[in-house]
Amino acid sequence: MRRWWERYGSRLIFIGLVLGLALFIRRTQGAVVAEIYYQVVRPFHGDTLPEEQWADAKVSELEAKLTEVEGQNAKLQELLKHTQGFAHPTINAPIIGRSVDHWWEQVLLGSGSNDGVQEGYIVTAPGGLVGRIVKVTANTSRVLLISDPTSKVGVKVSRSSGMGYIQGGGKDKGKEKVTMVFYEKVPSVKVGDTIVTSPASYLFLPGIPIGKVESVDLEKSPAPEVIVRLTAPIDFLEWVAIHPFTSQLKDK
Amino acid sequence: MVVLKIFEVSPRLRQIFDWIIIVGSVLICLLILPTRLPGTELLGIRPNWLLIWVVVWSVKRTPLQGAIAGIALGLIQDGMTAIDGIDVIDGFDISIPVDVNTPTEAVNTSYPSHIWSLTIVGILTALIDKKRYIQEDFISIALIVFGGAIISETITAAQYSMQDFRDVALVWTEHQRIALSSAVISSLWAPVIYYPLNRWWEFKKEKEQ
Repeated sequence: MRRWWERYGSRLIFIGLVLGLALFIRRTQGAVVAEIYYQVVRPFHGDTLPEEQWADAKVSELEAKLTEVEGQNAKLQELLKHTQGFAHPTINAPIIGRSVDHWWEQVLLGSGSNDGVQEGYIVTAPGGLVGRIVKVTANTSRVLLISDPTSKVGVKVSRSSGMGYIQGGGKDKGKEKVTMVFYEKVPSVKVGDTIVTSPASYLFLPGIPIGKVESVDLEKSPAPEVIVRLTAPIDFLEWVAIHPFTSQLKDK
Repeated sequence: MVVLKIFEVSPRLRQIFDWIIIVGSVLICLLILPTRLPGTELLGIRPNWLLIWVVVWSVKRTPLQGAIAGIALGLIQDGMTAIDGIDVIDGFDISIPVDVNTPTEAVNTSYPSHIWSLTIVGILTALIDKKRYIQEDFISIALIVFGGAIISETITAAQYSMQDFRDVALVWTEHQRIALSSAVISSLWAPVIYYPLNRWWEFKKEKEQ
């Protein structure tokens, strides 16, 4: 027994140490790695916001917002009280890293709890909605993009108020396109319609621009399917805005 | 070359330096993962650095050692992608038609683990009879990484198709694109990790004999 321990003991301890360390990183969701990564790449990120770079995207966002506001004014319904916009000041954060796995659509931001970021906050960019914060460390935060196949967002058609949800991923869609699924059998939707987050959304404020309808397939079973092109150029973004938001989930 | 002399004299120092190299190289791989270095992207897919590391580690080791490396790195990568503690929202809002019982919004909390893919690749790499079939050079390492990447992405896709959150048909069309790009780009970049690590382990082995 003693000889066996002398021979294999140190090896066993090392294996335990390695697996323990890996388990620790797993339980903290890679917080240590994210923090080290932040310190390493910090010198490569400037502090100035590129201003005119996304003028086009900004115009699309404003257009989308305008369509939304017009639709609401016409109806003057109770959802008006939802669209007061973001109440709190926003936090600007640089994108310092992309997702570490091909199957996921995530980005790593260079702002964390030190800057006041919390889980569940909404992330937007010039153009519209980008995603929501799912993990925060001291200096970094991880965003689940709305283009991730595991993310579903409740949305509506701005013009007709047709309700449904968008889900990322899929054949030939890539990062800038998502699928919209309608709850109705025959939704009122046509190419070019603006899609915004719905008032039924728990995770997002209503009325945030998401994208424009690119193609419509009403024959699709079981529910009609629509392809939406995101207005925020997620692949080319370097900065995003984080909006404080508390999910209404806890109340319900 | 004074440094190398020190390692020749002291086995203990050599052992410590070996651990520094192991931990350091894993850390470097982890830090490259989120970056988009120029030249490392193929159709939007970047090399699977952890897979390369596991192959390089296992190629001259026992299946058990390969498995342990796979488990450890799989746990770490899971930690870096996983979304824990988020509720899946079921049910529906009153403002949408009553007969619809689809979740309004949801974030999936069950996801494929990287542990399976990396562990299996680690074990398989260690099991290959290299003396008989493969000579230890860049080409064979690149070939093993190529095969390993395909196996690993297939395991991930299989795990996805066992869950019902993603559309199974789409998972397998995605799989073709991801597996092939990942295999090509990973095997091209494999020597970058293989060469320095292999040089050090060769040197260490030589001194120990």
